Amino acid sequence: MEYSIRTEHLTKSFGAFTAVDHIDVAVEKGEVFGFLGANGAGKTTAIRMLCGLLAPTSGRGTVAGFDIIAETAKIRTRIGYMSQKFSLYPDLSVAENLRLYGGLYGLGGGELKDRIKEMAGFLGLGDLLPRITGSLPWGWQQRLSLACANLHRPEILFLDEPTGSVDPVSRRNFWDLIHRLSAQGTTIFITSHYMDEVEYCHRLSIMIEGRIAAIGSPRDLKREHGCATIHDLFLRLMERKSDGSPA
Amino acid sequence: MESIVSIRSLAKDHAGEKALRGISLEVPDPCLFGLIGADGAGKSTLMNILATLSDPDSGEVRMLGLDLRKGFPRIRDDIGYMPQRFSLYQDLSVLENLDFFADIFGIRGKAKAERMDHLLEFAGLAPFKGRRAGLLSGGMKQKLALACTLIHHPKLLLLDEPTVGVDPVARRDFWTMLKSLRAQGISLIVSTPYMDEAALCDSLALLHQGAVIAGGSPAEMLAAYPYRLYRVEAAPDARISTLNYPGDKPPPPGFELIYPSGGSLHAAEKPGQAGDPLGRLRLAVPEAASATMLEPALEDCFFALLSGKTANAAGGA
Amino acid sequence: MMSGSRLATIARKEVRHIFRDWQTLVVVLVMPVMMMFLYGYALNADAKEIPVMIEMPSPAPETRQVADKIDASSLFSVRGTVPTASDPRELFRLHGIKALFRFPSGFARDVRRPGGARVQVLVDGSDPNLGTIIRNAAEPMLLGATLEVLGVEQPKVLDLRTLILYNPEQRSALFFVPGLMAVILLMISALLTSVAIAREKELGTMGQLLVSPLRPLEIIVGKIIPYLFLAAVDGFLILAVGRVAFGVRIAGNPWFLGACSLAYIFTALSIGLLISTLAKRQQHAMFMALGATMMPTVLLSGFIFPVASMPLPLRILSHIIPATYFLEIVRGIILKGVGLKELWTPLIVLMGEGLLLMGIAIRKFKVKL
Repeated sequence: MEYSIRTEHLTKSFGAFTAVDHIDVAVEKGEVFGFLGANGAGKTTAIRMLCGLLAPTSGRGTVAGFDIIAETAKIRTRIGYMSQKFSLYPDLSVAENLRLYGGLYGLGGGELKDRIKEMAGFLGLGDLLPRITGSLPWGWQQRLSLACANLHRPEILFLDEPTGSVDPVSRRNFWDLIHRLSAQGTTIFITSHYMDEVEYCHRLSIMIEGRIAAIGSPRDLKREHGCATIHDLFLRLMERKSDGSPA
Repeated sequence: MESIVSIRSLAKDHAGEKALRGISLEVPDPCLFGLIGADGAGKSTLMNILATLSDPDSGEVRMLGLDLRKGFPRIRDDIGYMPQRFSLYQDLSVLENLDFFADIFGIRGKAKAERMDHLLEFAGLAPFKGRRAGLLSGGMKQKLALACTLIHHPKLLLLDEPTVGVDPVARRDFWTMLKSLRAQGISLIVSTPYMDEAALCDSLALLHQGAVIAGGSPAEMLAAYPYRLYRVEAAPDARISTLNYPGDKPPPPGFELIYPSGGSLHAAEKPGQAGDPLGRLRLAVPEAASATMLEPALEDCFFALLSGKTANAAGGA
Repeated sequence: MMSGSRLATIARKEVRHIFRDWQTLVVVLVMPVMMMFLYGYALNADAKEIPVMIEMPSPAPETRQVADKIDASSLFSVRGTVPTASDPRELFRLHGIKALFRFPSGFARDVRRPGGARVQVLVDGSDPNLGTIIRNAAEPMLLGATLEVLGVEQPKVLDLRTLILYNPEQRSALFFVPGLMAVILLMISALLTSVAIAREKELGTMGQLLVSPLRPLEIIVGKIIPYLFLAAVDGFLILAVGRVAFGVRIAGNPWFLGACSLAYIFTALSIGLLISTLAKRQQHAMFMALGATMMPTVLLSGFIFPVASMPLPLRILSHIIPATYFLEIVRGIILKGVGLKELWTPLIVLMGEGLLLMGIAIRKFKVKL
């Protein structure tokens, strides 16, 4: 089995506080993997370690076959990252944002032009290239973020809470794109606390207070715990914990 | 029954586009009223008008027995408004925020202390009253914001997408609070993109491109669902159990709609179809192993109501 | 109708914001002091030890003596003597000198002839101020030195005596303390109020305030009261540092100065409010406030450049900005010790501008978003 992401006892402590506590995660190539948890459960810390932005306190891991401690530079050329919070420059046009991101990953000239054309076609952004990003509806901005993160054809796409206020129809369309990328062999690692949509993942894990509390396919997890939905499962796992942790 | 909000032919342009195209709505008193719709459907524009923060271009709005245009200063005394973005002072503590809103509403002395204690208790924020608002978790921020809008005993609450970006546990707690307010006789108008929240409302209006295209109680909306709905699942031993159906692929023969939901597919069959539905589904979804009849949920209604209208709605506009 | 308690609520909240954001508070309190020391030393334009060289083809004793006199002056420092400079620019470049005195080979002979000796002074004009100082100092110095060397007494035809009033020692502190009062008070008041209101809009809290029973006037007045105090503290700080560190004493009535400063702060707050009605974000408010206050005050109020020597359009502008009138008042009180009798015109203009701007700001303040 070929793994895109693999961690063993990955741990990160900040002083006395253990944000990520011995997590073992293995994500297959081309898989859509949901990485769930409440606010402050340690998702962001874990992602930052996987992207090579933060050194683990102990444990190890590989991303795209490279060590997350020693080979962070190689990892960064092979991953794409998209976040709800920061991604696009609203005062630039769609094409300018795409060119900027392509440039950041060392694409240029005819190659960049071809990739932008291809990506715009794939995501249906073709007519919008000259538009100012900030003037587009949120769903289109989200697609553009996805296009930017995917322009350099990363092996793994990290999507950090990509869906915010999105109605069922736009969310459905977004997930359609995710599955098309997955079908092309891109591994998708996605965090969300919107439980309905994570059922679209091939497999998922639920993180609570730094630990992986459950991992498996949505169907197996629901069967195993006797829950009708992942939403119910999440609530049950969270039950013991009060909503008192800071964001 | 007297309506707490009565809207007639309300229209409003926003940024050169028609944000609201002559909508009419009645919100009974008391009511937990849900405003649902895609991004850009006009939910926030309507909320802003009801909050007396922007003027309609045309049409009439009566709120709390007063005309919105003339009576807005008095309307403001009886409404609580929670905007989409967190709008409290992040550098002030939980207590200081509450204190500030109590003061500007002229609540003083013993009444203020009691009201603040009650609201801290209600929102479950008593243990965190000294914490700066900016350091609260997303869910707690929303609870604090709700507490602040309640400080002056409003008769009507306007909440604009209050649970966006909030985790499921906090979302559930928040809705428990809304239900208990409703039980106390307060009316609420809540906008939300989430259909599981819509199901908790007494009455709903579905906004699409600035118009109300459907409405009624959740039960009425479900009863009006025109299709026969199936859940399509992969075989129990399939390696990948999560099914997907590309959005640009036409639905299988005899079906109006098919879309992923909860890991399986939901397929809406047109009325009057004969023959084995699974057989027809398999033509398009070879991995389909079973098709079970299913009661529609509000999300299925949403797809059914918007499918024809949003052929190009990938962006949700 | 304004409610005192709601006003106090807004003001109290604003004070909390100010103290919570202690970094800004430190900047607001330290900046005036820092600017005073900067201006105190930077504006001290007494040039000293300007590096120069001397070209001297034939070192006769007379030439040497004149050269020594140049070196002995505190203004110049002779970095070297060359017999001939084939390329004078090379010397400027290599030795970093600002002037080259070129004596002719027959200097000792020529000075005794009726036509006199020709001495050339090459001046580095890249710094115009320094160039002017060198030019103005070179001739009397060379003339004096040469006459002294020759032992010739110059016949006295004019006895010029200049008496400087108000600032007899021409101390720059007396000049920049009023100027800084004008700049800092305006900046703090206009910048901080406009940013404070723009912040409410940016955060979305303005909507919450508008939906409440608060009246626009209560929001405005409640928000400006704390900044009025803060600006007053800054004004006091400038005067105190001016007195302690630079020995600037207020010749006139300090209470009158305080009252006039409050009038000026009021005008400045009105500018801030007006800006905040236009700006939607803190960043816009900041740039607009800086553009509307800092630049015109420094450049056009007469703080640095005299108004009288400006071209007409700038002179008109300078008579519009409030700082010009405030500067006139402050200079009058601190330096001349004059009072209301002499200063009522600028004071009335200042207050009139404040009322006008405040009126516009209140009218423009929207009750809706």
